[in-house]
Amino acid sequence: MVVSAADVVLSAEGLAKRYGDREVVSDVSFALRRGEVFGFLGPNGAGKTTTIRMLVGLVKPSRGRIVIDGHDLRQEFEAAMRRVGCIVETPDLYKFLTGRENLEHFARMLGDGAAGRIDSLAALVHMDGRLDGVVRTYSLGMRQRVGIAQALLSDPAVLILDEPTNGLDPAGIREMRELVRRLAGEQGLAVFVSSHLLSEVEKMVDRIAIVHRGRTLATGTLVELTDGGRRGLEDLFLELTGGETV
Amino acid sequence: MPVMAGLVENECLKILRRKRFRLVLVVLAALLCLVVFAQNRQQQNQRRDHPERDWRAQVEKRASDLERQAGQRRMPENWKRWMRYESGRLRYYLSKNLNPNELTGPVFTRTFAGVGSVLLIPLLIAVFGADLVSSEFAEGTITLLLTRPVARWKVLLSKVVAMMLFTTLTLLAAFFLAWGISGVAFGWSGWGAPMLMGFRLGPGAAGGFDLTGVRMVPLWQDTFAAWGLAWFSALAVGSITLLLSVVFRSVAAAMGTMMATLVGGTILSRVASDWDGAKWFFVTNLPLPDFYAGLPTPFEGMTLAFSVWVLLAWAAASLAAAFLLFTRRDVTA
Repeated sequence: MVVSAADVVLSAEGLAKRYGDREVVSDVSFALRRGEVFGFLGPNGAGKTTTIRMLVGLVKPSRGRIVIDGHDLRQEFEAAMRRVGCIVETPDLYKFLTGRENLEHFARMLGDGAAGRIDSLAALVHMDGRLDGVVRTYSLGMRQRVGIAQALLSDPAVLILDEPTNGLDPAGIREMRELVRRLAGEQGLAVFVSSHLLSEVEKMVDRIAIVHRGRTLATGTLVELTDGGRRGLEDLFLELTGGETV
Repeated sequence: MPVMAGLVENECLKILRRKRFRLVLVVLAALLCLVVFAQNRQQQNQRRDHPERDWRAQVEKRASDLERQAGQRRMPENWKRWMRYESGRLRYYLSKNLNPNELTGPVFTRTFAGVGSVLLIPLLIAVFGADLVSSEFAEGTITLLLTRPVARWKVLLSKVVAMMLFTTLTLLAAFFLAWGISGVAFGWSGWGAPMLMGFRLGPGAAGGFDLTGVRMVPLWQDTFAAWGLAWFSALAVGSITLLLSVVFRSVAAAMGTMMATLVGGTILSRVASDWDGAKWFFVTNLPLPDFYAGLPTPFEGMTLAFSVWVLLAWAAASLAAAFLLFTRRDVTA
């Protein structure tokens, strides 16, 4: 597959993060392309969460550069973040507000008629008719869906989801998978999905990066990385990470 | 900045929906009812016990009591100063044939500006101010708030503006509640009553009572100035509370620290009258309405202007530190 530079909507180059004398992330690089679902896989403690927090501006990288849709995250934070929607770890909304009030709250942060998209986004995540309940009364799956609607408010080019299937029941996992595929396929979003569970993202992703001890060890399509399917992804994972449980 | 208006609207919505602010109003109303009830009782008892005595005799007795106490050797120096000040003030009122103790709703309201700005109003501001930032960390919503295309300084600025708005609302509510509730017992009218102010005590233990600056102003004018100064004190408290809210990720830690500081500082200014380094502490400088009225300051050399500048410096330094910390901090877990 030939990829032109114009297709890349998010690139991370040589990311590193050091806290004191402990390096949590040493060298993480990858590029996300329009319309693909990208899996970011690694065992717990591999540096996935710190990497995601760097991608969305919560944590400042010690080294490296992040460019989102042509905007350098450090120099043009607002322009870059306008192109990103994300859920970091759990979808923490304001529990004392209703789903709609939460979406209105974040629409006001965007300014441009984002509030006008609330109803169509609610329909997209199957939350229409249930937005007026207080978030405290929502199930985790409902919060997850309002969280995704929130992430899509700014009409982003990149959607970043941190362990999106965590805590969901099998039906919820399937629904999430279908939604992610639809967003990438129909709307051309680049979706970044992190997980420590291979089985859950295997059916969802086009390409993956495997990260271990703060470094990206391999990047490619599932077919490439598994030698055309001759090796299981599980084996590859174990081989690269030295047999640590995933 | 059209987005800024939306950000401030967001912050106001969150303060209102958290219901803390309603608690502040309820506490204010309840405490004022209690104080007014107690004062009313006291007044009735005095009338019952001394029905024959007129107000001149009462004021005369109070003034000479104070003078006698001020002469006692073991009395702390700053108490003595206050006693000499108060007796001098009472005697001047007598000489003008004015009753200094006449209690009306407006007089109560004026006095409450001074009394309230020492501890009560700052504590109430700590109640709703402490969770402005820390609750976003505690509830995890900070990750959403800071991953939106809005620079961090704008997010914090909207919280500062909301803090100022609600501090102003607290002061307005305190004013109208004080007047409304005290009026039930003591009457709502009397804003035009003459107030004598500008009494001054000379320096040192033997300083004389200086009447050269005394002037008469209508009560409404004095009240307006006193509540304006109380508002200024409250904004300084709000700014310091906001810094603590940025520093601590737990609401309880932020609120607890602020409350302990306020209570501790009040004790400090009453107890440590020898160590005049305490005059640089913000709590010592909070009772601006009292300093304006001419009441002796806890430490010699403190003036109204001095206290205004000290509070301004504390507020500015706190806000600067809050912005620095908030915009640079890594947000982990």
